[in-house]
Amino acid sequence: MTWRTIGSVRESPLTQLDFRPKLMVMFAATFLAFMWESPALTGALALLIFVLCLIARIRLSYLGNVLLIMLPFYGILLVTHGFLNTHVGRTPVWVAPEAWWLIGGKLRLTAEGLAYGFMVIFRTLTLILVTPLVIFTTDLNALIVGLVRIRVPYKIAFAFSATLRFVPLLLEEINSIIEAQRLRGLALEKMNLLKRLWVYSRIAVPLILGAMTRSQQVEVVLAAKAFSGSPDRTYLHESSLRAADYVVLVICLGVLSVALLLRVTMGLGRFSVPRL
Amino acid sequence: MLRDINLSIRKGEFLGIIGPTGAGKTTLCLALIGIVPQFHGGRFFGRVTVAGLDTLENPISLLAQHVALVFQDPETQLIANSVEDEVAFALENVRVPRDEILRRIPWALEAVRLGGMEKKHPSELSGGEKQRLAIAAGLALQPEVLVLDEPTSQLDPLGSQQVFATVRELNVRLGITVILVSHASEEMAEFVDRVALLSSGALVDVDIPSRIFTHMDLLDQYGTRPPQVTSFYIELRDRGFEPPSIPVTLEDATQVYEDMRPQVEVKPPAPQPRGTEESSGPILLSARDVEYVYPDGTKALRGVSLDVREGEYLVIVGQNGAGKTTLAKHFLHLLEATEGQVLVNGRDVCNLDVSDLARRIGFVSQNPDNQIFNATVEAEVAFALRNLGISGTELAERVEESLYTFGLEDYRAGHPLSLPKGDRARVVIAAVLAMRPDVLIFDEPTTGQDYCGAKRILDVTRQLHQAGKTVIVITHHLYLMPGYADRVVVMGKGIILLDAPIRKAFHETALLRSTYLAPPQIVQFAQRIALRENLSPPSLGQDYALSILTSEELAACITSRKDNA
Repeated sequence: MTWRTIGSVRESPLTQLDFRPKLMVMFAATFLAFMWESPALTGALALLIFVLCLIARIRLSYLGNVLLIMLPFYGILLVTHGFLNTHVGRTPVWVAPEAWWLIGGKLRLTAEGLAYGFMVIFRTLTLILVTPLVIFTTDLNALIVGLVRIRVPYKIAFAFSATLRFVPLLLEEINSIIEAQRLRGLALEKMNLLKRLWVYSRIAVPLILGAMTRSQQVEVVLAAKAFSGSPDRTYLHESSLRAADYVVLVICLGVLSVALLLRVTMGLGRFSVPRL
Repeated sequence: MLRDINLSIRKGEFLGIIGPTGAGKTTLCLALIGIVPQFHGGRFFGRVTVAGLDTLENPISLLAQHVALVFQDPETQLIANSVEDEVAFALENVRVPRDEILRRIPWALEAVRLGGMEKKHPSELSGGEKQRLAIAAGLALQPEVLVLDEPTSQLDPLGSQQVFATVRELNVRLGITVILVSHASEEMAEFVDRVALLSSGALVDVDIPSRIFTHMDLLDQYGTRPPQVTSFYIELRDRGFEPPSIPVTLEDATQVYEDMRPQVEVKPPAPQPRGTEESSGPILLSARDVEYVYPDGTKALRGVSLDVREGEYLVIVGQNGAGKTTLAKHFLHLLEATEGQVLVNGRDVCNLDVSDLARRIGFVSQNPDNQIFNATVEAEVAFALRNLGISGTELAERVEESLYTFGLEDYRAGHPLSLPKGDRARVVIAAVLAMRPDVLIFDEPTTGQDYCGAKRILDVTRQLHQAGKTVIVITHHLYLMPGYADRVVVMGKGIILLDAPIRKAFHETALLRSTYLAPPQIVQFAQRIALRENLSPPSLGQDYALSILTSEELAACITSRKDNA
């Protein structure tokens, strides 16, 4: 059983792990992504997380969609850092011809700027990929229990899981409104992108109204089910750490400690342009 | 919403609440757990005490430990991520030990026929299955008071009977006080200790079922109906017979018949020639060996073949999850067959868009709220017409016509979601009908409606049928369909079990039971009489000796021995 929002996770070694070591993986990856400024190291980290996503059997279509959505932003990142990052930019790889008005001879694409742009891309990729890696491989109940075990107040843990639950509900709501509109002769499939966007923008009001009604209903239902937000409750799902969980925790702590030590003593992870 | 209610419910009592839509039944249920007024606010006078706790002085979360409430709409009350978690959620909140939770989950799920579905996500269940899950979550609490607000409105007939029986068992075995709102008169009469009749927020009467359900003036006045066997004996009495008593349950009705046997004779109705009920128009909709598998692997249709001819009135019945709605969605290309072919007017739907098909096939789905997306009733009705390119005077005229047909003129400027559920359903039907489609598919149109509301909607379907439209109704409410439908398609577990005229289909008891359906009570009673009188089917034209469908038809078969002599 898994979280259904993306519906893309199947049984894998990661679904067998407790939420806490996975949370540790998330913390370690995030910490390293921010500590390291080296394009090579952040690139290796992003690649590792990507491979873990594949091991977790997160659908390639989902990963592909994420990359597709991020592609324009990555283009912007490369261009802005490549041309405008004067903080690290030293070695020009291309200079605008003198004849070009205003920018001729001044606008330079630097190797360092490009490398920095790639580093930021790898950093964001790590953050983007590690989230589904941890969240989508964890049953929501295990997630709540895991959060409570690490002393997150139950109310906050429940609110977090309720937010996650709300996403598929909203998607369902959007689909049902669109389906109902098509059943009233709305030829969505024959519309161009602009018209479609117009249709989607117009469902905002019924969507918000529906969401508000639904959230109020959920509140009533929760009250009727004796939910008070109190941590003084029992749990159907148990959260116990097994050998594999301890191994992951130890590996994460080990990698973090060594990386921190090497950063402080040898400067490992400082920004530098990889030599080809 | 509620006015001067004075009602005491004994510990261990099973109280049924009946009344028309808007009577205040749900409000009363909510008041029993403190949601009214603690959550909803409003003006509240008087006092409600449940299990010794004042509902104003104690928080809802505390009251919920003593009172379990199963809501009317299962869609809004399922909040967990799996079937077992849904059942466990309230138990966890009231600190039931884990081992006990593990014991109660299979017990509650078995009680509502959901055993083996523990790991499924609630959204993967059909409408009826969701309702059964909501009931299971309430049952699992084994509370002091169990309040169920129309818990069986979306269930197949046997499912509904099972819920009543299960609740009764809990009531008797564990001493749980049960308060149940329902329009199912037959089950109410059989299972509850007392019936409370509510109307316009007031308690009209509260008494034992045999008194309430035989008080015809009262029932007529407040738009409710008696059990079918009761109607039969009242009809007999009106015809000059003198039954020793007016029964309200099938068993009692059988006994009363035994008592009357020396005085009466049964004359089966004249056989009707075969084929008169079959349409001979051209085929409009056709499914050929259709198979459909949902993304989660559930095989919803297994080689379904069905032809629907122009001008037919067809009813599709079957257990929850039989594939009825799935099949209907194929005709609109909302779902695409995994195998097989679906044709509309001879054209493969794969080559047609949903929007094109929707202009020919109007689809009114189960939950009206999923089909409302405009700010006013008028805009809701006009939406489809604008998509058809209609504007100006014609648009205004057609909107007016649709509003008038459904008596919605006064609500035109109101928000559709602000109307009661019955009226919301009428808004959706009006909006779909404005397109003037040739075929109309109604998916569970009578769910959540009181008797009068259900009849009003079915009367509309009959008018449409008489105007030449092809009508398909998907329903569990078999007892409502005589007089409307000609042909019945019985589905079970993704296949068509029977496709027959209504007089034959409604008497196929064993087959209906195989898909958790039961014939209407009066049909079951007629079959008992036929068996008792050793009536054999006529040689020609009829499959059953007493192939009646209504109480009036059965009463017409009863004659006096004295008169005959």
